[in-house]
Amino acid sequence: MALLEMNQICKAFSGVYANDHVDLTVEKGEIHALLGENGAGKTTLMNILFGIYSADSGQILWKGQPVRFASPKDAIAAGIGMVQQHFSLVRKMTVLDNIILNLRDNRFVLDRKQARQRVRALAEKYGLTVDPDAQVDSLSVGEQQRVEILKALYRDVELLILDEPTGVLTPQETAQFFEVLRALQKEGYGIIIITHRMSEIMAISDRVTILRDGKKVAQLVTAQTQPDELSRYMIGRELKETYDVDTPPGTEPLLSLEGVSLPRKKKGHPLHDITLELRRGEILGVAGVEGNGQKELAEIITGIQRPSAGRVMLDGADIQRETVRQRYERGVVYISDDRLNDSLVTDMDLTENLMLRDYCRPPFSHRGLLDRKAMLQAAKEKIQRYQVRSSGTSGEATPVRLLSGGNQQKLIVAREISDRAQVVVASQPTRGLDIGATHFVRDRLVEQRNAGKGVLLISADLEEIMALSDRIAVLFGGRIVGVLNRQEATVEQIGLLMGGVTGKEEVG
Amino acid sequence: MTAMTHRKQTLLDVVTICLLTVVISALLILACGASPVEAASLFVKGIFGTKASFAEIFVKACPLILTGLGCAVAFRTGFFNIGAEGQFYVGSIAAAMVALGLPQVPGVVRIILCFVAAFVCGGIWALIAAVFKTRFNISEIIVTIMLNYIVINFLGYAVRSFLMDPAGNVPQSAKIDTAAQLPNLITSTRFHAGIVLAFVLAAAVWFLMEKTTVGYELKAVGLNQRAAACNGVPVVRSIISSAFLSGGLAAIAGGIEVLAIQKKLMEGISGDCGYTAVLIALVAFNRPLGVVLVAILYAAMEVGASSMQRQLGVPSAIVSIIIGVVVVLILGKELLRWYGKKNGKEGA
Repeated sequence: MALLEMNQICKAFSGVYANDHVDLTVEKGEIHALLGENGAGKTTLMNILFGIYSADSGQILWKGQPVRFASPKDAIAAGIGMVQQHFSLVRKMTVLDNIILNLRDNRFVLDRKQARQRVRALAEKYGLTVDPDAQVDSLSVGEQQRVEILKALYRDVELLILDEPTGVLTPQETAQFFEVLRALQKEGYGIIIITHRMSEIMAISDRVTILRDGKKVAQLVTAQTQPDELSRYMIGRELKETYDVDTPPGTEPLLSLEGVSLPRKKKGHPLHDITLELRRGEILGVAGVEGNGQKELAEIITGIQRPSAGRVMLDGADIQRETVRQRYERGVVYISDDRLNDSLVTDMDLTENLMLRDYCRPPFSHRGLLDRKAMLQAAKEKIQRYQVRSSGTSGEATPVRLLSGGNQQKLIVAREISDRAQVVVASQPTRGLDIGATHFVRDRLVEQRNAGKGVLLISADLEEIMALSDRIAVLFGGRIVGVLNRQEATVEQIGLLMGGVTGKEEVG
Repeated sequence: MTAMTHRKQTLLDVVTICLLTVVISALLILACGASPVEAASLFVKGIFGTKASFAEIFVKACPLILTGLGCAVAFRTGFFNIGAEGQFYVGSIAAAMVALGLPQVPGVVRIILCFVAAFVCGGIWALIAAVFKTRFNISEIIVTIMLNYIVINFLGYAVRSFLMDPAGNVPQSAKIDTAAQLPNLITSTRFHAGIVLAFVLAAAVWFLMEKTTVGYELKAVGLNQRAAACNGVPVVRSIISSAFLSGGLAAIAGGIEVLAIQKKLMEGISGDCGYTAVLIALVAFNRPLGVVLVAILYAAMEVGASSMQRQLGVPSAIVSIIIGVVVVLILGKELLRWYGKKNGKEGA
């Protein structure tokens, strides 16, 4: 008898199937990977299992019994735990308090002593080392993830769902994390791991179920398959994984940072003495685990933040004191990692969003008066050229919040990459995009490089960095800990640098 | 959701809200022991009965339009100016001081000076809160409310001291001479030139918000300040200018009240219209032309209700209750939509 059996699950959102007759079986002691592009229906399926959504039709058998969870609480009580992609921890509370939060058998007076012992025991057994009395916001992302897993284990779950668990980890942390999974597997836990990283599926899973457009397209035994087969199933077409970055990169310096520093603030991360040069006709990759100063670096270049020390030079001119708009006029454009907050005004329509940079100059306005006709015409042209698809019938007048993530990103790319662009600062430009949109965005960046412009590609995705960059700088703890040429760089080497291990000594 | 069904939905919402309003009003009137039908007929007669009563709608709508516009401009920029009341007071004090203090200046010039002074002083008054917000990140809601208290009591002090009518002993200023009064435009009504000014300013604000780069900036800043800043839209400048304009518009309303209606400065001169303005802007979704419409409707209800009160003894406070109900219904509708959106959100 399987631990979990999901049969013919269907779920539609406003008439569109997110899950279309999907099956999934997980055995005891099995690590089962769930693979699919963004929007393939992985998270929806897991949310149905975990009681966040209810299925329109289909059956869930848990240890042979038909079940239907009305809420996550029911699912947890039955023995299913889920670690969401975005953690649900109370940052101002300790690890222990987070773990025992909302427990069913909590008394009015909490028995922290006993709880601490149990957490310690669990942590030791599975290698989930974390201090139970540390406050959550003092922990690294990897540690927070361990807390989430401990939280589930503490509730005696038998099946653990992990949604994109390695996205935020360094390669070293990932390896450690896999050890934990293997230990859990040995104890008979069932594990479902949602991911889109082939290498991880091959390394850790027993079986893999592949979803595409809401349908189950295959269930394979991992040992009997190959990454290219998985990829074929997932995408339904062959992937072009190489980019035309083989022409030699330029050597002429374009943008340079000299000794740029930023003090630690309440929010955000500090930068220490960053010296970096971006050349014409190159893509300079900035690798690093998120939260090591990437955002601050991008904002100092684009002018959103001002450094406390150091200089920013563009084409030999000191642009230190210039505003965001002045730098844009010199060609500094920005694709932010936070589309919805930094780049778009989601309640405005496509046209108005496309004009956020240029509304204040001809042909879109004359002496302070907007020329709506010119705006609309330019928008139409960009929307067509960049294949931005809006769901509604109102086209350019559709509020941007109704667009899918991929189309929102295309819209941003359409706005930022124009003839004006000289320096393209692209931060996590393909995060959350499906393969088609990812390729589209990467192609545009490569085009810019080949046109002799400079691209600063900040990404936590090493594959992306390796595929696109001419040179790779690694950011760790607010410092550049290494700059490598792509030809001589290996994933292992970069992974070590990302974890703060330089050739000489441990940083931080 | 496509734009088409969206529009249909909006229409349906408006109809529902209107129906609910009518039902609730009828129940309230019944509770007073009067017949709703009779009340309704008196209500309509009160509005359309005579030329004077119809003109009265615009007299009452005038300050609401201007203060409502002020609130709408500020709200659009994400600046929650609850200080239209105080800015109205500032405007009335400034206008009265100029009108009374420069008796040798010819009438038209003096009137223009009155409005310039009112606009600038009201704008500066609102600007204080904007500076606190942009410099020190202090909530403009708190600051504007506090500023209201200061100026309301300052007016009380002024009409008992330096602005007190030397000829009388009541706390009010001397009467403004006819030359500096705003002329009446239609005989046997109270329809005055200030009403025309209100409509002109409404058109100007509409033009500014919809047709100019400044309006576009204000809108972008109001909807997503962070994105505006990241794209180089001048955020601080937008907030400052929106606050200034907002305070100035409310102050113009105060100036009109002094020069056209009261013809002197006295306590309680605003009739609380600066607070009503907040509701009007909310109901009009911060759209300039919507503000004009809502203000006129509100004024019409007030005029109708006062005739109801005179002849049937139904308290005109009913209008305030009904407006309150409408606001709650509209906000409730927004809340419901937001809740529905949240629950219907698709997981990938």
